[in-house]
Amino acid sequence: MSLLVLDTLTKSFGGLSAVDDLSLAVRAGEIFALIGPNGAGKSTTFNLISGLLAPDRGRIFFDGADITRTPPHSRAHLGVGRTFQLMQPFHDMTVRENVMVGELFGHTVLKSLPAARRDAEEICELVGLGHLLDRGVTALGLADLKRLEIARALATHPRLLLLDEVMAGLTPTEARQAVASIQGIRARGVTILLIDHVMSSVRDLAERVAVLNFGRKIAEGTFETVAHDPAVIEAYLGQDEADGSR
Amino acid sequence: MTGRALVRGGLLLAVLAAVVVLPLWVNRTQPYYLQLSINVLIFATLALSWDILARTGQLSLAHAAFYGLGAYTSVLLTTRAGLPIVAGMAAGAVVAVVAAVLLGVLTLRLRGIYFAIATLAFSETLRVITNQVRFTGAATGLVAPPLLGGHRPSQYLVILTILLALTLVSWWVNRSRWHFAFTAIRANEEVAAVMGVDVVRFKVLAFAISALFAGITGAFYAHVFLFISPLEAYSLAVSVGALVAPIFGGLYTTAGPLVGAVVLRAGEEVLRSTVQRGYPIIYGFLLAAVILYMPGGLAGVWASLLARIPRPARRGARGEPAGS
Repeated sequence: MSLLVLDTLTKSFGGLSAVDDLSLAVRAGEIFALIGPNGAGKSTTFNLISGLLAPDRGRIFFDGADITRTPPHSRAHLGVGRTFQLMQPFHDMTVRENVMVGELFGHTVLKSLPAARRDAEEICELVGLGHLLDRGVTALGLADLKRLEIARALATHPRLLLLDEVMAGLTPTEARQAVASIQGIRARGVTILLIDHVMSSVRDLAERVAVLNFGRKIAEGTFETVAHDPAVIEAYLGQDEADGSR
Repeated sequence: MTGRALVRGGLLLAVLAAVVVLPLWVNRTQPYYLQLSINVLIFATLALSWDILARTGQLSLAHAAFYGLGAYTSVLLTTRAGLPIVAGMAAGAVVAVVAAVLLGVLTLRLRGIYFAIATLAFSETLRVITNQVRFTGAATGLVAPPLLGGHRPSQYLVILTILLALTLVSWWVNRSRWHFAFTAIRANEEVAAVMGVDVVRFKVLAFAISALFAGITGAFYAHVFLFISPLEAYSLAVSVGALVAPIFGGLYTTAGPLVGAVVLRAGEEVLRSTVQRGYPIIYGFLLAAVILYMPGGLAGVWASLLARIPRPARRGARGEPAGS
């Protein structure tokens, strides 16, 4: 059963097509990775799925329902959660308050402030922010900001979680923790669609991978099959793999 | 009760008692001070209602528009249609809210300086139109019937009631889930939206609440000063004053805009009477000094003073892990 279906999705910016005729199906319960060189249209795809951009053509289905014209906050209520590649914490708020926004507004259950507070603290513990609850976000380092992105998305109780480069810039140890953390989230029944450039993490995590290049899907399958696809090697992996296997 | 709560509660009661009793008592010998108090409360209502809108990140220069719409609606309805003043004031508030919802929807996509300019244009357009139309008295203005027969102490209690209602609304907003929606929208609308916050709804709601109080205050002003003109009712000074007081007193708080308005308006009067010549220069310097050297305004200073009062360990609070 597919939780998310993209049907011939197209989006261009001033004549330049960022996403071109993209079709994709993410099955409930799997970890699916979207990879491709910079500018391949991965982040645009996330913006289309979360509703921050409207497609020029094509449709988006979530759990069988057409959500192509559904506003972003309603998609959150349906169960679409996401993180941002460039971390966007709410300033003027502590770590706990940042996460509370998701608990209060991210789903259709009406929560009291104390309940939202308690549940937000639980999520912070889960992702390793439990000791920073009262901190302002300006005092956080990169790894903690990435954790906050995940915590806020989890607080909306997503059924589908879009992770936009949550590994980028992490040390190998932090990246391993993040991989374990993502597997833990999936174990709780959350379907995951992720974008990442850290190939070892993608290999460890994703059951299926789709490769984008210039907005088009050029390959799809397991990590091993796409890694040996000549088109993929030419477009992208050839160069990156050489860097990665130094 | 903790020490902080005692300090806060005691101070609040003292202030409340003082604002109800003092101006009325002073009025017997010095009516000028009651007049000044009414001015201060009008200014404070504008400042706090402006701040509620600002909490969603919308820094408006249209406050004079809602103030003026409230004033003109009420005066036109009471003089030309013979409505009672209370009904006129209520209608003034309603018209201001309708205009605010329209402006709010039109400016939804504008941020920062572009939003400010659009709101300024809206306000100036209303002023120019009112200035030309004969029905609204054009540049000459309109004479307004007096509220409560011109009885100053009663008028004072009316604006005090309006301000207290607004204060309660503001206090509630900052302690409810709205506070989280407003603050998230102010930080980043797109992130707020994907986290489930209905951005349009909250931005327009903030506009409506803000305009409701600006509109009713404008109507009040008309029926107290008995004369309105486009230059005064839609004055840029109203919009600027409404934003200076919160910045001076402490943005996004309930106490900040109120204290800012009282200190600024009272300080202006003291300066005016002691340094007759060139008082605006001193006023300007003081304003600039506070804004430059006291980020967070007066409320920021107050918060850091309160923080020095030792606070008993919270029951059930978890111990902080070492090294955090």
